[in-house]
Amino acid sequence: MQIAVSGGKGGTGKSTVAINLAIALKEHYDLVLADLDVEAPNDHLLLGVELASEEPVELFMPRFDYGKCTRCRKCAEVCEEHAIITMRDGTPFLMPNLCSGCAACEIVCPVPGAILPGKKLMGHTYLTETPYGFPLVTGRLLEGEERAMPIVSRAKKRAQGLGKELLMVDTAAGTSNTVSKALEDSRLIIAVTEPTPLGIHDGELILKLAKLMNVPAMVVVNRSDLGDVGKVREIAEKYDAEVIAEIPYSENIIRSYVEGKPIVLTDYPEAGLFREIASRVVEFLGGGE
Amino acid sequence: MQIAIASGKGGVGKSTITASLLYLLKDEYRFVAVDADADAPNLDLLLGVERWEEERELIGAKVARINVESCIRCGICQERCPYDCIKVIDGDYVVSELTCEGCNVCGLVCPVPGTITLEEVRSGVVRKTMTRYGFPLISAQLDVGRPNSGKLVTEEKEWAKKLMGELGLEHMIVDSAAGIGCQVIASIGGADLTILVAEPTPASLSDVQRAYKVVQHFRQPAYLIINKADFNPGFTALRGWAEAEGIPILGEIPYDRAIPRSMSMLKPFVEAFPDSKAAEAMREIAERVREEILK
Repeated sequence: MQIAVSGGKGGTGKSTVAINLAIALKEHYDLVLADLDVEAPNDHLLLGVELASEEPVELFMPRFDYGKCTRCRKCAEVCEEHAIITMRDGTPFLMPNLCSGCAACEIVCPVPGAILPGKKLMGHTYLTETPYGFPLVTGRLLEGEERAMPIVSRAKKRAQGLGKELLMVDTAAGTSNTVSKALEDSRLIIAVTEPTPLGIHDGELILKLAKLMNVPAMVVVNRSDLGDVGKVREIAEKYDAEVIAEIPYSENIIRSYVEGKPIVLTDYPEAGLFREIASRVVEFLGGGE
Repeated sequence: MQIAIASGKGGVGKSTITASLLYLLKDEYRFVAVDADADAPNLDLLLGVERWEEERELIGAKVARINVESCIRCGICQERCPYDCIKVIDGDYVVSELTCEGCNVCGLVCPVPGTITLEEVRSGVVRKTMTRYGFPLISAQLDVGRPNSGKLVTEEKEWAKKLMGELGLEHMIVDSAAGIGCQVIASIGGADLTILVAEPTPASLSDVQRAYKVVQHFRQPAYLIINKADFNPGFTALRGWAEAEGIPILGEIPYDRAIPRSMSMLKPFVEAFPDSKAAEAMREIAERVREEILK
């Protein structure tokens, strides 16, 4: 089964919640954590580990065999991304940056072998052992590449392939379709937000997405003393979600973060808050050891 | 001049700094502000925008639909979908609208003509208003579950350029999204320079280094603002990196509760708490922007 940690706005503490929750949940489930914030993956930094076991994510990219190409332009016509342009005589050229690797051009090309399966490197996935008893899978988009979706998709598959009892995904900020891809198949979404107008605005969007996807959501309010938690509760209620924790702004969390020691493993009082979130999750999911 | 402001990482204070910078520059320069974080636009909130003067729907995203009546359930579409967007629900093949990228591969491989169609859907809105500070703001809001393509940002920038012509504005200041993907590339591409914002943490350093690679890709000059500069005193790697790369540091803003408090007041912090230490640092940064960038 799968659960997700998400939250509309960036910088709300999503990854902090994800890693601490993963450590706390390890006592109950055999799990894997997947960092699907592929544009800015940070869970490994918070867990203090170096990314390992790199695998490339390559996409199909058409290569034209101009000796065989009949200049029929079908490839260019079918390309939804307008990545293939044709010269006046119909000779196709690819603009690699626009190519999404969907292979539609190859499918419609009437001449076998006129479009060859070239490859383009989009990013990598990693599988890293952590000292906390669970592995971390990370997706990382290559700088300069635009498309996050294939990396999210591949990283998620790699994590699923480990066959763990629980897959916990940490998504990117926002509510675009790469976030939906990460959330897909979740039994529960933990939405991390802040009680500021910005946090509330973006938090509402993620709850809306959860509703659209038919996934139950719980809300964790981070830096809860920086605004009006009552307003977060109102929004949560509107989307049938419950506020399960309030984490005040904490120097201890910053300190533990800087020291590379997850707060849930310390004696600071904040550790209890994360254990509480974990027990609510276990209660919801049922089972565990 | 077109200036992009980027950070790689979300939540490091890019938009709060942008709002305050705009506030400090507004009397002297004529510019249009663009909030290019269509996924989670915030600049309007930080500038106290209450209504939009003009809103345009952006149709352009495409999603595939499968007609259950004519579908023969061969499963080829599911097999070939590059993004695993086709599921079997109660025996029917269904495209997940919230993850479909609209590439039409399913439609091309489907053996029954007319069964899979590609339909245009709304991807979001682009909108414009005049802020109470006297400069216009262009923003956008992506609909949930839509591809966050740079097209929305390109659309915003087109509109901003048109406004520059109409109103005789000299500059465009683009607050880009977090990350390094499509919308960030569309924000940074075409700019004359990028101001990076980062905080002294390993995560922020890692993300800003990635954003800087995108800036380098466009062969642009970059500048750096360090936010929450004092909250991790032992961490010198951010400064060290900027110095090694030759990225001029425009200034450092200390951690200051005035900033989150000003956010709740929906005002730039230099306006809400002009005597705070953060505001003082921000004024120095604006001064350097005047001298070194806008001249």
